[in-house]
Amino acid sequence: MKIIYTDSLVVGAGLAGLRVAIASKERGLDTIVLSLIPAKRSHSVAAQGGMQASLANTVSGMGDNEDVHFQDTVKGSDWGCDQNVARMFTHCAPKAVRELAHWGVPWSRVSQGDREVIVNAQKVTLTEAKEAHGLINARDFGGTQKWRTCYTADGTGHSLLYAVDNRAISMGIPVHERMEALKIIHDGKRCHGVIARCLITGEIRAYVAKSTTIATGGYGRIYEVSTNAIICEGIGQALALETGVATLGNMEAVQFHPTAIVPVGILTTEGCRGDGGVLRDKDGYRFMPDYEPDKKELASRDVVSRRMTEHMRKGKGVNSPYGPHLWLDITLLGQKHIDTNLREVKEICQHFLGIDPVTEWIPVRPTQHYSMGGIRTKPNGESPQLSGLFSVGEAACWDMHGFNRLGGNSLAEAVVGGMIIGQYVADFCEHTSLNIDTQLIESFGQQIDAEINQLIDGNGTEKAITLKQEMQKIMMDYVGIFRNGAQLDQAVKALSELLMRSHNIGLTCKKRHANPELVDALRVKRMLKVALTVACGANARTESRGAHSREDYPERNDRDWLNRTLSSWPDENALLPTLTYEAIDVMGMELPPGYRGYGINNAIAHPDTQKRQQQIEQILTELNNPSDRHAKQAALMPYELPDQFKPANQRLFDNVDVKGDTAK
Amino acid sequence: MAANPLPAKAVLSSNHAKGFSHPIWAARADRLQSATGVLLGLFLIMHLHFESSILFGKEVFYQVAQFLEGGIFSETGHGFPILTQIFSAFMLLIVLVHAVFALRRFPTQIGQWRALRQQMQFLPHEDTKIWFWQMISGFLLFFLVPVHLFAMMTNPEIGPHLSAERVVHHNAWMLYVLLLPAVTVHAIFGLYRVSIKWGLTTQRFALLKLAKVLLAYLMVLGVASLVAYIIIGRSLSLPVVPFVPGL
Amino acid sequence: MSQARQLTFSIFRYDPQDPNDKPQMVRYVITETPGMTVFIALNKIRETQDPSLQFDFVCRAGICGSCAMVINGKPTLACRTLTANFPSAEIKLMPLPGFELIGDLSVNTGKFMRELAERLQLWLHPNDTDMDIHRIEAPMAPEEAAKLYELERCVECGVCVSACATKQMRDTFVGAVGLMKIARFELDSRDSRTSDDFYHVIGNQDGVFGCMTLLGCQDACPKNLPHMQQIAYLRRKMTLSVTNL
Repeated sequence: MKIIYTDSLVVGAGLAGLRVAIASKERGLDTIVLSLIPAKRSHSVAAQGGMQASLANTVSGMGDNEDVHFQDTVKGSDWGCDQNVARMFTHCAPKAVRELAHWGVPWSRVSQGDREVIVNAQKVTLTEAKEAHGLINARDFGGTQKWRTCYTADGTGHSLLYAVDNRAISMGIPVHERMEALKIIHDGKRCHGVIARCLITGEIRAYVAKSTTIATGGYGRIYEVSTNAIICEGIGQALALETGVATLGNMEAVQFHPTAIVPVGILTTEGCRGDGGVLRDKDGYRFMPDYEPDKKELASRDVVSRRMTEHMRKGKGVNSPYGPHLWLDITLLGQKHIDTNLREVKEICQHFLGIDPVTEWIPVRPTQHYSMGGIRTKPNGESPQLSGLFSVGEAACWDMHGFNRLGGNSLAEAVVGGMIIGQYVADFCEHTSLNIDTQLIESFGQQIDAEINQLIDGNGTEKAITLKQEMQKIMMDYVGIFRNGAQLDQAVKALSELLMRSHNIGLTCKKRHANPELVDALRVKRMLKVALTVACGANARTESRGAHSREDYPERNDRDWLNRTLSSWPDENALLPTLTYEAIDVMGMELPPGYRGYGINNAIAHPDTQKRQQQIEQILTELNNPSDRHAKQAALMPYELPDQFKPANQRLFDNVDVKGDTAK
Repeated sequence: MAANPLPAKAVLSSNHAKGFSHPIWAARADRLQSATGVLLGLFLIMHLHFESSILFGKEVFYQVAQFLEGGIFSETGHGFPILTQIFSAFMLLIVLVHAVFALRRFPTQIGQWRALRQQMQFLPHEDTKIWFWQMISGFLLFFLVPVHLFAMMTNPEIGPHLSAERVVHHNAWMLYVLLLPAVTVHAIFGLYRVSIKWGLTTQRFALLKLAKVLLAYLMVLGVASLVAYIIIGRSLSLPVVPFVPGL
Repeated sequence: MSQARQLTFSIFRYDPQDPNDKPQMVRYVITETPGMTVFIALNKIRETQDPSLQFDFVCRAGICGSCAMVINGKPTLACRTLTANFPSAEIKLMPLPGFELIGDLSVNTGKFMRELAERLQLWLHPNDTDMDIHRIEAPMAPEEAAKLYELERCVECGVCVSACATKQMRDTFVGAVGLMKIARFELDSRDSRTSDDFYHVIGNQDGVFGCMTLLGCQDACPKNLPHMQQIAYLRRKMTLSVTNL
């Protein structure tokens, strides 16, 4: 087995992984990135709508800052997030956007003067300031108080990934394409790298590194229908889980996006609604204002998805051979807007539905979209249990999203998280030495050899693809938008049985090199464990929070469940994960739990909430300079950041007196 | 698979080269090929039109030929056939320049030829097919045009009877039957390509349609003229007496 | 609804790593379902008939550029090609020519694109090297940003390379994808490179002057990028620049 040594090893070449690799390389570290596919094909590329950052250049973003972005993010998470991390994130988001402009992203820019937009199905004229001309624009997204989502038409992920990968190429960072990491090398305390298999030659290789960063994205493909790319199968989470040491956080927190097309589940961006599109039922009736009179279609994603499902359950869905759906109507935006700002959406409608969204409504329904859960990390991105193992982006539970992610915060997490954690990874590499125990490395390599030999030479009779499809169906039917105890019990039982059966997988294609059946077999065994953490976590959590919605426990229960689910895998032959819980400390919160602003306020309060409220008031009255928002923030919840990111963000209205809120 | 996917940098053509391999010649070659092509193409269109004046009768053709040979400057009013010779030599030079630069485009190795044929077979594509025929016609013209021009240099007399004699009794029709389709196809599609190549128009499909119409028109014109010469030629008795207007 | 059609797929099969294997076309028959794409069909074939069949899909939404192949003589993205587009019910699939074959329909476009990016330096060379991420960004004309995005929509699928007869004949030719990217950076006011810098990279027979304007690139591009216009623009620009060389 070939062993390759490096300082900083990154698994996954999406935005988050590449950004960490760049940070490592900038600090002079030897860096290698492993990827299943060419870097520019990573799923980051599919993000259409944009990235949130409180630049406040557009007139509808005036008055925005880190504080507002922080509030939106925390509320959006249903108070499930780590507020320290949310602060780190919101503070650095504008810096990341500006850095990306420097790396080549052609952000859409503000044009001074009047422009017509659609707000709440009405034409409204916005007047942009002269001073803002040419600065980075922003559009409206769900669950936000300000227009904060920076974008490049509807190819934001594409532009970002291309700019970041180009940067990585310019720095000579090698990306080992078509390499699949299959095992983390560790000694129970310290991570030493991964064992990986080349998808072309089948070669098994060890990558030994000071730091190993898992940036493999989400686990959407454990569901039958998902907006995710087909490579988003949760293998990164499985790698960590299989160490038996590292934990996964909040795996039950799975987001369903309101508007994926039916039946294939391809996403149409939230930008459709942000730019003024509306949802209609089978009668052509715009139903969202009935449920959410305030935010309407632009309520938080979890809320809109649930309202849509409720509405379809009332028989208001449009019947189709693929089950009921609703309509997304963007015809009111007009040809010009759609052709320039929603072009990918138009292409998708044309190619997959054969319709023109300029004149026709788009059939949509809520579809699995994002994994808030992932490899649990500390604010510096490192696993609390396994030193040297880092994780970033959707793969991680860094935990700025809690139980629901805001639209536009995922691209943002990828680049901002990558920027911040990249520094911590580099710090770690600078302060540690490479620990090489060849015997340990070999033993992990042998485990993979044995697993592959068993699949190819063993007498297994189960088909990997069958197990995968059964798993996906179970997740779809029993661990969906609305969940209940009976169905979750059933899901857990069925998934455990599948996991048992997966020990008996056999292959018909016996090739050891490029062999898609072998790839599937290796993955499905791992995916099943990930699926079990989702189902078990959902089953145990007897409350509704964010995207986790229990019909049998409809209220948010801060008293008993203001915590983070941690899953670990007890031993190789176990059929269920071990769940433990990490309390979220109300007394450390800058924004104590409150009403999110949707539906009835039925939350069961945490005993500390009121105490913390009073404490906050006390702290604020004792402040010398109560008007300084930075001082206020620092007094309430000081947080860590690498030094180079500490300076304040400059904004247009800091220097220029521009009136906000001037929509005529 | 290579451990490190960082490849060796591909070698670009050296920018320090001297003479014709200097990169400056890459731009020049492209420009010269296009410029000579445009010149030849436009000349061909005029040439075919002058030629076709025979369709309006011997008298008209005679006058056109006399005019082009500089008849108004000669005392006899019959012009200077040497002009035809000089002009032919000049055109030959242009053709040679065009050919030298166009030859760069030809598949010179059997592997390239195979790649081209395979591409056309598996991925049929109209503009590629058009270019293929331009290349084939260009190859033919490389031999045919000099023959035509040498004939004009050695035997520059142009007139209704003299030209017709050349066509019929010197068997030039055999040359023209090949030359006419080859040169029109090559010239018209060449003009089309040069326009889109340098971005003179963005209306590509309209232009292509126009090119096809023009091609059909020129072919009809050319064939009709050729037939006219053949008819005239067959009616002449040897030795041929030059046409004299007014008789 | 009428009875579902039986589709016949003729698929190129070859495993270059198997010394005993020879290239061949293999036929598979499957039943068409409503809205079936080549992506769905290939997965069905792999699931039910031949688990060793190799092909590449990632986003399956026409965004990532992984799945380009030659479908009935036309190179395009397989994921968004509906089988209903083929009235004859005969669909022939070939791997994209001009790239290293990994096996069957899978080709190594990633390696090609990375090498091209390194060869042509396809990244922004910023002119203000001391940018400050804490301060307000430099303004850019909104029209320029929109124009840049238009050229940025390339997904590096490799279709333009395979559709280019020039590239097939001359391996060293950069192909449309490289030229389009150069055009994108040439347009970017944030890029410090001059026309002369670009001339040193593409002002040669392997660059813009090697292009014969066959336009296979533009006619096959799944993103409808304006290759003809942009390459013509580069050619004019490079011809002008040569006078200053």
